[in-house]
Amino acid sequence: MGIITDEARSWAEKEFPRFDFTVTGRDIAQFAHATEATESIHFDRAAARAAGFADVVAPALFPYVIRMQAYNLVDRAHLEPDGSPSADVPPLSTRRAMAGETSIEIGDPIVAGDIITVEKRLLDLYEKEGRSGPLVFVQMEFTFHNQHGRLVAREQFTRIYR
Amino acid sequence: MNRPDLPAAGTEIPIVVRTPTAVDLFMFSASAWLLHRIHYDLPFTTEHDGHPGLLIHGPLQGVYLTQSVERWLGPIVRLRSVNYRHLAPAYLGDSLECGGTVTASTPATSTIEFDLWVRKSDGTVTTSGKAVFGSTERIQ
Repeated sequence: MGIITDEARSWAEKEFPRFDFTVTGRDIAQFAHATEATESIHFDRAAARAAGFADVVAPALFPYVIRMQAYNLVDRAHLEPDGSPSADVPPLSTRRAMAGETSIEIGDPIVAGDIITVEKRLLDLYEKEGRSGPLVFVQMEFTFHNQHGRLVAREQFTRIYR
Repeated sequence: MNRPDLPAAGTEIPIVVRTPTAVDLFMFSASAWLLHRIHYDLPFTTEHDGHPGLLIHGPLQGVYLTQSVERWLGPIVRLRSVNYRHLAPAYLGDSLECGGTVTASTPATSTIEFDLWVRKSDGTVTTSGKAVFGSTERIQ
């Protein structure tokens, strides 16, 4: 028996707002520290300029920070008991979430001062029978452009509920 | 400009061992405003989600995958694309070996492709994927 209900199917049709994220040197430094990216181009404007960038440059996988902060920074009333933003969680009887597959294409570098527009859409909602019961897959796509209209990243991400 | 010095297909990346601490997990969650409790709330994680420990974030393992190349080759390369899947959970306290192999090296287009993995010390692969890097002379 499927566990994806009509309610969950109609949830998957919804649209998410686009979000403009102004990247600061502090955002970049926090992610660089968190991931042990120690190169000076992530912290030191002069080093970044010497390397040909307009300002401190983000590590390649920094777009993750943008899409998380864009859609997770919500009022507490809109959080689930596990900490997830409610808007992100499909109406299912199963609520234990895990990361599945990620596919990221990288475009122009992101530097401090950039205004990155992120767009989110749901690509697919489907289920499979796993070893310990049914698994539901939610596939999302995030597209990131900078203020010059250039693609900085496109990510497809699948979250698994079990 | 072509880069005849790109490593050849079949070359293995030096293995890097990463053992994230509670502080590493906290910093990664905080940097992204990631509030999911399975990365910091042990009673919730064991009782509600049935895990034996706090989970090392999937996206942090994605960073480890690509950093094993960046740390080996340095700023002469830049990530163009990466695809990875999580095959088994990794928990706080696990030591993660990060490595992989060059699968294609194309000096004419200045690209180098990899199979990459993150595995526990018992050999269980937690994350595996493929990445394409380009040489920075071409990209900037």
